[in-house]
Amino acid sequence: MSVPNFPPPRDIELTNPFWEATDAGELRLPACSVCGAFQWYPVPGFACHPEAARQWREVAHTGTVFTFSKVERAFLPFGSEPPYTLILVALDDVDNARLVTVLVGDDQDSVEIGSRVELSPTEFETHTLPTFRLSA
Amino acid sequence: MASVAIVGVGDSEWGRSVDRPLDELVLDACRLAIADAGLQGHDIDGFVPCTPHPAADELAASLGTKRSFTVKPGLEAGAGTVGAALLAEMMIEEGLAKNVLVYFGYKGSKPGGPYSYHAEDPVKAAFEMPFGWYGQPVYFAMWAQRYCHDYNVDPATFADIALSARAWAQLTPGAQKAKPLTREGYFEAPMVATPMRTLDCCLISDGGAAFVISSVEQARDLAKAPVLVGGVGVGSTEMTMGSIFSQNRPDPLRFGALESSAKAYAKAGISANDVDFAQIYDCFSISMVLQLEEMGFAERGEGAAFCSLDRIGPGGSFPINTNGGHLCYSYLPGMNHVVEAVRQVRGERGDAQVERKSVCAIGGLGGNDHATLVLTEDR
Repeated sequence: MSVPNFPPPRDIELTNPFWEATDAGELRLPACSVCGAFQWYPVPGFACHPEAARQWREVAHTGTVFTFSKVERAFLPFGSEPPYTLILVALDDVDNARLVTVLVGDDQDSVEIGSRVELSPTEFETHTLPTFRLSA
Repeated sequence: MASVAIVGVGDSEWGRSVDRPLDELVLDACRLAIADAGLQGHDIDGFVPCTPHPAADELAASLGTKRSFTVKPGLEAGAGTVGAALLAEMMIEEGLAKNVLVYFGYKGSKPGGPYSYHAEDPVKAAFEMPFGWYGQPVYFAMWAQRYCHDYNVDPATFADIALSARAWAQLTPGAQKAKPLTREGYFEAPMVATPMRTLDCCLISDGGAAFVISSVEQARDLAKAPVLVGGVGVGSTEMTMGSIFSQNRPDPLRFGALESSAKAYAKAGISANDVDFAQIYDCFSISMVLQLEEMGFAERGEGAAFCSLDRIGPGGSFPINTNGGHLCYSYLPGMNHVVEAVRQVRGERGDAQVERKSVCAIGGLGGNDHATLVLTEDR
């Protein structure tokens, strides 16, 4: 099993804080600065509070697998060596947001929908990927 | 009562890779559709481009006509091409045009293939590609996994969809994937992203397709029996194209097909029970299953089992994708389905002709949007 190494774009204001946070060992998602509601994925402006700014709030490092797939063919233009296991994680303290990520660890073939997972970052030269592993 | 009808259809040369400019392929398709209707290029006055190229002004120049009105669907892929009939209907009812040309062309063989469309979306580029969450097969595999979990479906059930598509393709000249396929052959096909195999995924194609819509009144004087536009409906989700595949909620397994089909059936004065056969956007086996449930042909969670070879395949009681669809015929999103539906309703399909052909429902998916088109015989 592998983890794709495909550096994220760093020139997009709307998305950069996510990767700045992961480089610092944190996990942050964008939220409305007035009511705190998460907006994932981010879009320009907030429907709930048009005057709001975008605030990147820290979120839990644990969650539940909503769905998964073992990818056995490469689709990225470079940087992936299948197979690798993708998971969609419902984070513990965030409603209405799911994190796309890669499952790491020797026991990953035992993943199921509903499995508990926790943050276990993978560091590359250019970026830190917030990968997850199955919780004990 | 239907006010408009499809009077001509055409598709260009197509295949995995066709070494001709896209504009030429689309022009071929348009000329064939116009000739099929018994019209001349200069009879066309309304244009619905479902593709950036060729632009309508250039196409009009090639056809030797002047445009009265041009409008684009603003919906992607199958939602745009299947929903386009609604725009044509509005143009004709408003007196903006008499004969409307709907056209589409695609070069799936272009560098980056169909995947690159999503790479252009900043949030997908930032939050999905770095994880290798990329390529439509991956998106739909995750949905298939969740679907099988929620409804206790064995992924092996999807085999019949691939087998049926192949069986129809074998009866269809020019179908891209028409070699015989056994059930064992399906399970020997490589896994792309669990639980989906290569044969659950659509083709990659280059080609063009087009159809012409006119008033029913005029249609009855043209070359072939009119195929009436009974009703068209469009349904949109609250999700963006960038977010629908991972963030769709609360139920991730819904498109806008519940809404689009309800609108189309209401306009046509029918229910799902009145539909004789269907053409449903099959970019992947799972996406066809989800749409046919929303379109009312099977209960939630029972769509995969509904699609048994003996029901949806040749000779079955409810034929679906009767040319092999996007899995085996060609991948010109939604257009292949509309063109095939018209040929079936006319009774032109030879060995692949369905027996009951009065009412066809077509489902067209465009990610976060969906269109349903009901076509009927002129009774």
